[in-house]
Amino acid sequence: MSEIYDIGYRHYDGPRLGRGYATRALALHSLRGVFGLGRPARSKIMPFSLATIMLIPAIVNIALMALIQRSEIAYSAYAVIMQAVVAVFLAAQAPTVVAPDLRYRVLPLYLSRPVAIVEYVGAKVAAMTASLFLLVAVPLTLMYAGELVIDLPGPPATGEYAGAMTMTLVLALLLSSFGLALASFTPRRGLGVASVITVYLLSFAAVPVVYGTLASTGNEAQAAWAWLMNPFWLVDSVQSWVFGTPPHSIEGDYPNGPASAVILVVLICVGLGALALRYRKAASR
Amino acid sequence: MNTVVAGITYRALLGRRRIILLLVLPLGLIALAVLLRLFGETGQRSAMLLMDNFAINTMLPLLGLIAGTGVIAPEIDDGTIIHLLSKPISRPAIVRTKFLVAASLLAVFGAVPTYVAAWLLVSNEDSIATGFAFGALLAGIAYAAVFLLLGVLTRHAVAIGVIYALVWETVVGGFVPGARRFSIQQWAKSIADQISDSAFLKADVTLGFAVPALLIVTVAAVFWAGRRLRSFSLTGDE
Repeated sequence: MSEIYDIGYRHYDGPRLGRGYATRALALHSLRGVFGLGRPARSKIMPFSLATIMLIPAIVNIALMALIQRSEIAYSAYAVIMQAVVAVFLAAQAPTVVAPDLRYRVLPLYLSRPVAIVEYVGAKVAAMTASLFLLVAVPLTLMYAGELVIDLPGPPATGEYAGAMTMTLVLALLLSSFGLALASFTPRRGLGVASVITVYLLSFAAVPVVYGTLASTGNEAQAAWAWLMNPFWLVDSVQSWVFGTPPHSIEGDYPNGPASAVILVVLICVGLGALALRYRKAASR
Repeated sequence: MNTVVAGITYRALLGRRRIILLLVLPLGLIALAVLLRLFGETGQRSAMLLMDNFAINTMLPLLGLIAGTGVIAPEIDDGTIIHLLSKPISRPAIVRTKFLVAASLLAVFGAVPTYVAAWLLVSNEDSIATGFAFGALLAGIAYAAVFLLLGVLTRHAVAIGVIYALVWETVVGGFVPGARRFSIQQWAKSIADQISDSAFLKADVTLGFAVPALLIVTVAAVFWAGRRLRSFSLTGDE
């Protein structure tokens, strides 16, 4: 620390907590911001109502397990079934993580501290990933606890539950890297929401059309690749390859083998790379 | 109608990179139509699948959302609307101008690509292309009005609009037949059904309900948005 003028203010000589602490603090602050904690009530409405909607099928399934002694929703299918809600959550909340800092041009203030761009972006991605993970993992865990308490005939599906939790983390990372990259291209929240949901719906609505086109001409093997265009089915195909769960596509199988896992890893890298490039540019202004 | 306000609004929506957002969906629709034409069957059934699943169910509400809220919500969001509101222009006139801008954008980016995509698949058979283009045009105008109103009413206009388009029109409309009567998409389909003679197209709502409903919703939404803007109070961000 160099001073040009020492005008007599007291110096700080307490402990310096360092970059790790600053990054963790930023991540926690962003995570709280995603759920509107520490903000007025009207910014809590959207995240908490979507999180409640996510819980409803789990609760219904627990009730069904108690009544008919059978689970109707597989752990591995939860994210695919609820994909519209997860996507709306991502679209509605990703801009709240990145847009205000860009809009009010406060990035240089962050970067004048020990936090570098890598740590700033890492903290934001970690916060969004954690929030998406919580959104899906809480209903899954609730359902698993319900299954243990009700004690269904046969052994509990612990392996499938663990696999679903792992893949939820991967899905959350994929969605948040892409969602934040798209949202960070505009400092305006409304446009950020619209661009994230546009890309998601494009991938969601195009898939059945492409699949139907290729399958109707007898190209079943090629048609299977169409499912990989949507993030939820892409992660589900990796899940079905790694953990041997049945595919949860609308119809037909996924392509066999590790290709979908490779695509998944490449996409995550592309998302994170785009985010890093965007912030390198934003920080230099 | 105020040409200066219209010019500013056009620039706000089409300037810089924002036009990409409006172009992505129509280009996706035309790309899918080309794909169907090259690799799939080009019959009326696949044209219906594309028009129904993609053009009317996905593209139209999203474009309506982007254009309808885009003409006013960003200005409210960053507070620059105050410059517009402090000018001696009547507030309902501001709303009418912005509505016309949004409606014209929906005609260009929604109805025209719908016509092109349908024409690529079935040319002019049974007036399918004309029917869907006309339905998309009228429904696009109604969406522009509704989402403009939503943009004036709330700051979460885009998220609420997405939930309406995704949850109400697609999921609830899919399971509860009664909800289809109150869905702009279904009104678009009944207009398409009226114009086209195709046997594959089947509308759930009668034309006698759809046309008055479209008219009433459009006029009422624009009128209410104008009223709302008259007593608009600019509150701070969260």
